[in-house]
Amino acid sequence: MSSTKDFIIEQLKKEISGFQVKIEEQSVGRVLKIFDGIALVSGLSEAMMSEILTFKTSRGEVSGVALNLEENQVGAIIFGDYTAIKEGDEVLATKRILEVPVGEALIGRVVDPLGEPLDGQGKITASKFYPIEKIAPGVITRDPVKEPVQTGIKAIDAMIPIGRGQRELIIGDRQLGKTALAIDTIINQKGQNMKCIYVAIGQKESKVSNIVSKLKEAGALKYTTVVLAGAASSASLLYISPYSGCAMAEYFLDKGEDVLIIYDDLSKHAVSYREISLLLRRPPGREAYPGDVFYLHSRLLERSCKLNKEYGGGSITALPIIETQAGDLSAYIPTNVISITDGQIFLEPDLFYKGNRPAVNAGLSVSRVGSSAQIKAMKKVAGRMRLEAAQYRELAAFAQFGSDLDIETKNKLNRGQRLYEIFKQDQYQPLAVAKQVLIYYALTNGFLDDVPVKRVREFEANLYQYADLHDEVLKLINTRKALDEEIEKLIKTLLADYKLTLDYLLK
Amino acid sequence: MMTISSRQYAQSLFEVIGDKSKPELEKLVHNLGLILVRQHDLGQAVEIIKDFQEIWDREHGELTVELLSARQLESTGKELIVSYLQKRTGMTKINLREKIQKNLQGGFILRYQSRIVDGSLRSNLEKLKNRITN
Repeated sequence: MSSTKDFIIEQLKKEISGFQVKIEEQSVGRVLKIFDGIALVSGLSEAMMSEILTFKTSRGEVSGVALNLEENQVGAIIFGDYTAIKEGDEVLATKRILEVPVGEALIGRVVDPLGEPLDGQGKITASKFYPIEKIAPGVITRDPVKEPVQTGIKAIDAMIPIGRGQRELIIGDRQLGKTALAIDTIINQKGQNMKCIYVAIGQKESKVSNIVSKLKEAGALKYTTVVLAGAASSASLLYISPYSGCAMAEYFLDKGEDVLIIYDDLSKHAVSYREISLLLRRPPGREAYPGDVFYLHSRLLERSCKLNKEYGGGSITALPIIETQAGDLSAYIPTNVISITDGQIFLEPDLFYKGNRPAVNAGLSVSRVGSSAQIKAMKKVAGRMRLEAAQYRELAAFAQFGSDLDIETKNKLNRGQRLYEIFKQDQYQPLAVAKQVLIYYALTNGFLDDVPVKRVREFEANLYQYADLHDEVLKLINTRKALDEEIEKLIKTLLADYKLTLDYLLK
Repeated sequence: MMTISSRQYAQSLFEVIGDKSKPELEKLVHNLGLILVRQHDLGQAVEIIKDFQEIWDREHGELTVELLSARQLESTGKELIVSYLQKRTGMTKINLREKIQKNLQGGFILRYQSRIVDGSLRSNLEKLKNRITN
């Protein structure tokens, strides 16, 4: 026992003697005004933009970030308890630009935008600190987007495919399933060699708690980090949260890995930035947003990219979410973000209430990367689905007349109805790409034409079960990723055999 | 209506002083007072005096600094501090305003312009504590 005591005393003595007294000069200022999470500080003549400042208050140290560098004062936003700060308190410049802990230690954790743990599972010892603001990779370092991100959502993977390194906006009114799309995508990244980061900006903490338990249930927390700045957080934390998430993603990007990052949602982010800017007395522009609200999002989303082999070959795919009011796509923030991203997934209330969930409007939704982000098998079968869906939408208006239609139109209508039934999908049920290829093959080659529309989903569910039992087809699709003659023959046989087991086919 | 800062008032006052005689200087200061009243800036008078002092000192190579220590410092220590400040700021005349603050426990804290040099025993003990506990 005494040897342990001696050992500890030896260690302490070593620590103390090894301690080097360093006297450094520090830049110092005094608080002139403190209000609403903003402090105006005099002095600090050498403060840097986004430099971390330490406020020495009677209740301990509070940190803040310098955002306004004026002639005689510095405007700073406060992280933490700003009520502890009083006029006249001393402020020190730390000479560090705002940075967050990054690394593997963050996987599976729920953290706040400064990297502090929120899930009560102990301290996070980070290997590195990354600055939250970074200049996006240049043109030469990038590679075209070629590998798919399998969201597991049929409507997206077939018609609006997303690639690794793309930015695809999820946009729609409230309560239409925007977050649900994002979460299903995360769940489907199991085994896909992808790290995920979910940044919750201004969301209800109860909602995020549900999301975290769903992710845990699905085993997704093994590769996901949740960055949470809840609805009750200060505007400063809301403002930096997406940049923190991106910095954490960049750690994996630099290692050559693929990351999926979801910003839920950027509308609340813009609102928090507006709040900070107005408090800092920056001039308001359209809708009272500051003049640089475009730059706010463009510099964030430009950091999502696909790097070429020389720079590691990693990628960050971003799925920003924007909430529109009454479907108004032409409002200020939605138009800004639409012009920044490589496409959008537009969710519509009409489709939602008619029962088409996910309520993706295939006509208005776009993926500017398109089929180069699909495996060959998918490209072959899904290539025509977008066209068929569009044709169906055109003709669906005529179907209401109930008038005599020619055979061709009737066939198109039948096909379209079944197509839209196929695209209905339950929440938390992402579908593997091989099964998607199977069902699209069945649809586009007429195997569903004799299934009553009302039973298409039942047909589909049982088909997957059947395919799982006789899984050579699925295995082949997964390994070869393309549809050659052999696989096509096997699929046809599988479908024919399956249909023999059914008793509800028409005619 | 342009807002004129106290620093601008102080700077302009300094610039017009030149080699004027005492009665002329009195008139200048009186005029400044009238301007302040007209601009409704009389409330800035205290700031202007402070800024004027700073500008005057700076232009004459003089700097006043605050030196806090736990015990009275010896002249060798003070000389070192003065020469350090002369090198750092380029000012020739350094005025040390000394104050004793027992809770520093040892060492000194030096404040000048918008800088602080914290060599107190108290803060070094704090740093050591943080080192060991983290």
